[in-house]
Amino acid sequence: MTETLTLLGLESSCDDTAAAVVRHVPGGAAEILSSIVVGQTDLHADYGGVVPEIAARAHTEKLDHCIEAALQAADIGLSDLDAIAVTAGPGLIGGVLAGVMCAKGLAAGTGLPLIGVNHLAGHALTPRLTDNLAFPYLMLLVSGGHCQFLIAEGPDCFRRLGGTIDDAPGEAFDKTAKLLGLPQPGGPAVEAEAQGGDPGRFSFPRPLLDRAGCDMSFSGLKTALLRERDRLMTEGRGLHARDRADLCAGFEAAVADVLSQKSVRALEAYLATEPDNPAFAVAGGVAANLAIRSALETVSTEAGASFVAPPLALCTDNAAMIAWAGIERYRLDLFDDMSLSARPRWPLDRTSPALLGSGKKGAKA
Amino acid sequence: MPPDPTIVAFDTSAAQCAAALLSGGTIRVKKVEEMAKGQAERLIPLLEEVLAEAGLRWTDLDAIGVGIGPGNFTGIRISVSAARGLALALGKPAIGVSNFEALAEGCDGPVLASVPARGDFSYLQLLAYRAMTDPAVIEHLAIPDTMRRLGVTCIGHAAHEIANDIGAAQAAPCYTMIEAIARVAARKLASGQSLARPAPLYVRRPDAAPPRDPAPVILP
Repeated sequence: MTETLTLLGLESSCDDTAAAVVRHVPGGAAEILSSIVVGQTDLHADYGGVVPEIAARAHTEKLDHCIEAALQAADIGLSDLDAIAVTAGPGLIGGVLAGVMCAKGLAAGTGLPLIGVNHLAGHALTPRLTDNLAFPYLMLLVSGGHCQFLIAEGPDCFRRLGGTIDDAPGEAFDKTAKLLGLPQPGGPAVEAEAQGGDPGRFSFPRPLLDRAGCDMSFSGLKTALLRERDRLMTEGRGLHARDRADLCAGFEAAVADVLSQKSVRALEAYLATEPDNPAFAVAGGVAANLAIRSALETVSTEAGASFVAPPLALCTDNAAMIAWAGIERYRLDLFDDMSLSARPRWPLDRTSPALLGSGKKGAKA
Repeated sequence: MPPDPTIVAFDTSAAQCAAALLSGGTIRVKKVEEMAKGQAERLIPLLEEVLAEAGLRWTDLDAIGVGIGPGNFTGIRISVSAARGLALALGKPAIGVSNFEALAEGCDGPVLASVPARGDFSYLQLLAYRAMTDPAVIEHLAIPDTMRRLGVTCIGHAAHEIANDIGAAQAAPCYTMIEAIARVAARKLASGQSLARPAPLYVRRPDAAPPRDPAPVILP
């Protein structure tokens, strides 16, 4: 733990192509020397969602440019690096493969060590990058592809308390935006629209709140919203702006309610382990939603846990979190060789039963 | 640039992992391993074996030659991504070579090259002295008129059928694919032309359709 480390991180598991350089001096705060994120929103705009083949094609031709931009912004060369960290899953396999192979080429050509990082670990370790948070802390990872409560016990040790059994909330935001004629990505669009709406006009379902545990469900919410929309459109021969704002507000309130009430239970389970300095951290794109963020902060404070929400740019997909997770693995001597595989499915918690996906391919996340 | 550059070439556009080392104008090492999957795990170790057998290190290379397809989309991306990473690491160019160029390498005169696509489909491209047509994907023998030229030599997987259909000659490729990729890369490097970064040659557009449900009409 005495060595200053400078790592390059690469991320390409969904629709953001990213490269970043992070430096860490033991005992000090980590420093993000650069973080380049190139989105693909325009490429997928016509399709109402991320198309895996289109994403994979873009990553393949953008990643090396991102790396050059990240090195330049950090004002360093490849020879100043100690290792290359890359997202090796879970995610859209075509994009993950492009990242892993580019990282292998870089590592082979430079002789630098290669470190494969779980994308979810990248998110889950972000509070240590930004706030130097000590283990164990409670983590809510809530994004377009994921939703789970984890107790982070170490850089390579996560215990899942529960999560979604169907859609992720970010996915529900995107679908809501689509149903209501709002632009993608749906999160910011629905949030903006919700600000002028009445969250009490429509009462949307809060599934699984009557059940014990921290599991959640969001697919019914989307169906309920579709039903209300169709009813309003039949009555009014179109959707009035007022209706749309109220639908968005009602939807956002339902998501915030489910997440905060399940957070209460997750906090109970976490606090039962008697951590020295209880902390509740959130990450993922949905954590950028201010209504949700403040609801989570309230329950955290009420439970007596300090609340940590990384800045927005580090909540959504980025490569600084991958470089940081790489630094954590480097310090544990966890390296990979050139046979590193890209994995579409890769649960962080290797012991808890699968929530999503099963069979030959195994649990999704 | 040396007249006979040292180049490592690789290709995973088909169900194999192939690599070759070209140096002093000759192929010094060539390895082709058949595999339906696992190319991503095998590629770099295979390249390191090729280099070791030639007694060379990565830094001894003048350039990287990489097969850009057409072929398996994932396979092409595996090689192109690795090539771009290697090029960046070594500060040496990565040179993309299509399967059409590889098939035509060493053949005098215009070539109509065919590469297997899935099912009853073929990828086709006409390569002439100075010009070439855009590549196309065709079903069975639906050969575009622009490619039905007298005097072409048909090379590739459907060469026999195509030659019969359009009344042209056919020939076997002069080199194995991986050897040809290395040679074309060396030729492009020696030509001094500016070399774009290698990019996959998919020919087919991504299989994606716009959503069926139209967005609702928003009233004031």
